[in-house]
Amino acid sequence: MQRESFIDWLDRHAGRVFLFPAIFLVLAFSIFPLIISAWLALSRFQISANGYDITFIGLLNFKKLIFGSQQFHLVGTFAPVPILGWLVLVAVAGMVLWALWGYLRSGSVTILGVVGRFISFGLAILLALMFTFTLGDKAQIGSLATTLFYVVVGVSMQFLIGTGLAWLCAQKIKGRDFFRVVFFVPMMVTPVGVAYMFRMLADMKQGPFSPAWRGAGLGEFAWSTNAWSAKSMVVVGDVWQWVPFIFIVMLAAFESQPRDEIEAAELDGASPWQIFRDITWPSVAPVAATIVLIRVIEAFKIIDLPNVLTNGGPGIATESLTLHSFIDWRTLSLGTSAAVAYILLFVSTVTCVSFFNFVVLPMRQRRT
Amino acid sequence: MTVTLDKVAKSFGATRVLHELDLAAEPGEFVVLLGASGSGKTTALRMIAGLETTSSGTITIAGRDVTNVLPKNRDVAMVFQSYALYPHKTVAENIGYPLMIRGLPRAERDKQIKDVADQVELGPYLDRYPRQLSGGQRQRVALARAMVRRPAVFLMDEPLSNLDAKLRGHMRAELKHMQHGLGITTIYVTHDQVEAMTLAHRVALLEGGKLQQLAAPKEIYNDPANLFVARFIGSPPMNLLHGRLDAGTFLLGDRRIGTASHGTSADAVLGVRPEDCRVTEPATGTLMAEVYATELIGDHTLVTAKLSADMLTLKAGKDFDAPVGTSLGIAIAPERTYLFDGPTGLRLR
Amino acid sequence: MSVFESRRLGRMAPAAAVIIYGLLGAWTLAVIFPIYWLVVTSIKVRLDVTGGPFYLPFIDFTPSGHAWHYIFYDLGNDTFRPYYNSIIVACFSTLVVMIIGTGASYALARLSFKPRLFSVVLFIFSVIGALLMVAAAGLDWRIAVAVALAIFALLAWALRRVPSPTLANADILFWLISQRIFPPVVAAIPIYVMFQRIGLLDTHAGLILAYVTVNLPIVIWLMYDFFVSIPRDLDESAELDGASKFRVFWDIVLPLARPGLVATSLLVFIFAWNEYLLALFLSTANAQTIPILVSAQNGTRGPEWEYMSVLILIMILPVIVLTLLLQRFIAKGLLLGAVKG
Repeated sequence: MQRESFIDWLDRHAGRVFLFPAIFLVLAFSIFPLIISAWLALSRFQISANGYDITFIGLLNFKKLIFGSQQFHLVGTFAPVPILGWLVLVAVAGMVLWALWGYLRSGSVTILGVVGRFISFGLAILLALMFTFTLGDKAQIGSLATTLFYVVVGVSMQFLIGTGLAWLCAQKIKGRDFFRVVFFVPMMVTPVGVAYMFRMLADMKQGPFSPAWRGAGLGEFAWSTNAWSAKSMVVVGDVWQWVPFIFIVMLAAFESQPRDEIEAAELDGASPWQIFRDITWPSVAPVAATIVLIRVIEAFKIIDLPNVLTNGGPGIATESLTLHSFIDWRTLSLGTSAAVAYILLFVSTVTCVSFFNFVVLPMRQRRT
Repeated sequence: MTVTLDKVAKSFGATRVLHELDLAAEPGEFVVLLGASGSGKTTALRMIAGLETTSSGTITIAGRDVTNVLPKNRDVAMVFQSYALYPHKTVAENIGYPLMIRGLPRAERDKQIKDVADQVELGPYLDRYPRQLSGGQRQRVALARAMVRRPAVFLMDEPLSNLDAKLRGHMRAELKHMQHGLGITTIYVTHDQVEAMTLAHRVALLEGGKLQQLAAPKEIYNDPANLFVARFIGSPPMNLLHGRLDAGTFLLGDRRIGTASHGTSADAVLGVRPEDCRVTEPATGTLMAEVYATELIGDHTLVTAKLSADMLTLKAGKDFDAPVGTSLGIAIAPERTYLFDGPTGLRLR
Repeated sequence: MSVFESRRLGRMAPAAAVIIYGLLGAWTLAVIFPIYWLVVTSIKVRLDVTGGPFYLPFIDFTPSGHAWHYIFYDLGNDTFRPYYNSIIVACFSTLVVMIIGTGASYALARLSFKPRLFSVVLFIFSVIGALLMVAAAGLDWRIAVAVALAIFALLAWALRRVPSPTLANADILFWLISQRIFPPVVAAIPIYVMFQRIGLLDTHAGLILAYVTVNLPIVIWLMYDFFVSIPRDLDESAELDGASKFRVFWDIVLPLARPGLVATSLLVFIFAWNEYLLALFLSTANAQTIPILVSAQNGTRGPEWEYMSVLILIMILPVIVLTLLLQRFIAKGLLLGAVKG
């Protein structure tokens, strides 16, 4: 048997040649930093005479953030619980118990399932508790809750507006292509630009809406000095930017509904609402679930908007977890910076995996 | 060039797709791998091409062991069932692709492309794209691309199955003529027995990954090796009656049928082709039956006759017109019968 | 029939039409107005900005090119440098990530990989070993990496017969794509330290490398669907005709995937252009990109709307143009298959 030429040897291993650079890059930039970050999160970083010192301190950073001197930053400050707080807690607890009961009754219980649910539901309850206790008048919510606020409120609004616009566009209107192009633009505008744009737009004194604010008696109100109005402005900017994403995908989903089924239902005399509920929604639900998941994944990472729009302020009111980590890094508190990053990693991964398992998969299965 | 498969077997994971297959194709021979889907015929073909690895056994082409050689170095050309034409290249570029890879200069390439295109009557279409061609034309492009290489072996994977019936018949003749003219060893896969019988020098019938019989079409038709072959080849299929064989006489219920065999078996199957059964008077026939259905084919009538427990198909004249339920006799010449052992399916001689 | 239902076949009821067009029109305004405001503000002088909102050029105020002149001439280099950096980093990172990502997703779509879980775990431990060597023993990182790789290779070969579950293509694909869930901030600090050691901090190359890594999952995810939809027969036919796998990729597969390539490249370029966090961490002075410039200017020039508007306009104009190019592909549903799947 003749010896293979080098070209042929390369050809035989072509698969590895194609794949290897990608694997190598991802390993170098994910596994490697992940481990270092973990180590940093468990150490104290100090500038010393000859550069810097890193001493291992175990979970002290996490303790400081969750219970100790930095608690106000991550978790928030506590106060008597308002009604809203109790409502949130009861609602979350209720949902968790219902889901758990449904699972245990389902008859297909596995160890992985139980462990997974334990983590997901446990986290949900903890977060709900955190919310509840930091929601009061004198209280202040921390970066963890703020991030969740951005994710939950932001993505919900993006989804509602985006799907609504998509549904409107899917009707028999003229100029659908025009709307498609125009609506797509905000998604690609650099987030830093979006932040500044809204900073200008929201200005109460010289912004384009100031006549309206003055008329409503808000002329002297500076939205950036109030915690919740500042947070809301971040959400407004985020919504403006990301509605297009939902819109484009949902429009495509609406356009690819099963025409036959709809025509049959129309002939049978079904009302538009019935058609939407029974045919349209089931066919777009899997796509909707996937798209929301994608947005949730990205929303956890938000930093451009809070940084440029409000600089994390007032105080720490608009700080997302990423921003919190960045600020700690800038102030050379590397240990807590890495710890916050890890907390973000944990919360976002559990949330995304839970969402995937409890929402996306069932929607997909129901379709097939 | 000779192509040999020596104890070639293939498993995907735990599933055995091909049991040790021995096959040798002579230079210039047209061998057809015939079988239903899942019989292993396409797997065998792809292993010859090098698109699948063997689990065991060796493959040689022109005396060279190619079992571990890359497909591009085996000197085989393949016509795919889907034709696999490159949609973004013209007909000329499609045909010329193998030549371009080998670095043939432009002028020489164009000449060879034109030669082959003329042979398959694609001359006027060289600048078209595949999507502008009909099914038959695309098939010829695929053929031309294989021909232009003058390979050691042609491999064809059901190339005619995507064509309509009329075109298929026409292309069959074309293929046969072309292969005869070029004299290149061809391995051809199909599930259509008509294609196998008309095109092949020899047919290899496969079932469940095992070779059932390897023989020339005439022999496979007239001398089936086992029950499966007997059932598969022939349209309408061979009649099969279950009964006992006693020293060469087949016992069906209370009827006795003389056969050409000498054996004895408690569980035997008698096979007789429809064209070897004659309609006679009920009294003089080897078997008695009644008419179940008649179908006028054109030049003959296909009669389905019901025996006590079995059905029999036979061919009668085009004027045969008996109504359902008429009694008739069926004459079977002993030398036209085939006997098989019930449990194993093997032919009893 | 309610007032919203159509009375004529094929046309909408007037009441419904009013509401629908009204809502769509409202959102169109919401989209266009902020950008309009940017443009209008960029041609104002300071007085027009602070003196309360003026909306229409030539009617409410006299437009002036002052801000533009200032940014381009007076600030010249300060503006051009980040712009130049943005262009270089976005272009090259797009090029590199498309090459690496397309190759990887083609391999995953066509060929079958079966890495052993054991080997993967072994590799991770080697990495940890290398890190310990550097941290504890203060070894030069190049030596540590070489030693770790050597140990890994040795162990992998020596223990190659150890039984272990194998992973499949789907697992590799999932892992690569799930990298997107990873908040970049977790990796930012270590990468900062890594770059500092290797000397890649505040360089084009460093940023390009980082951008390539974060955008790789997108490229792989989107191109995978394209490659899977190209019939395997074409690959095999070309292989039999004598083409090596590289040739098949170049001659046959890539041309057929061209729309996907263009759409994905545009998308990735836009993401690279807009990238903020990594640039924030990994560039300090020389390699700053435009988003960082804007963010920094926000601090010093915050209230100077007219200058900021110019900066932001030149920052977002390229991506808006590219977006208009890209949306043609989106409209054809090209990238959406990946989302649905």
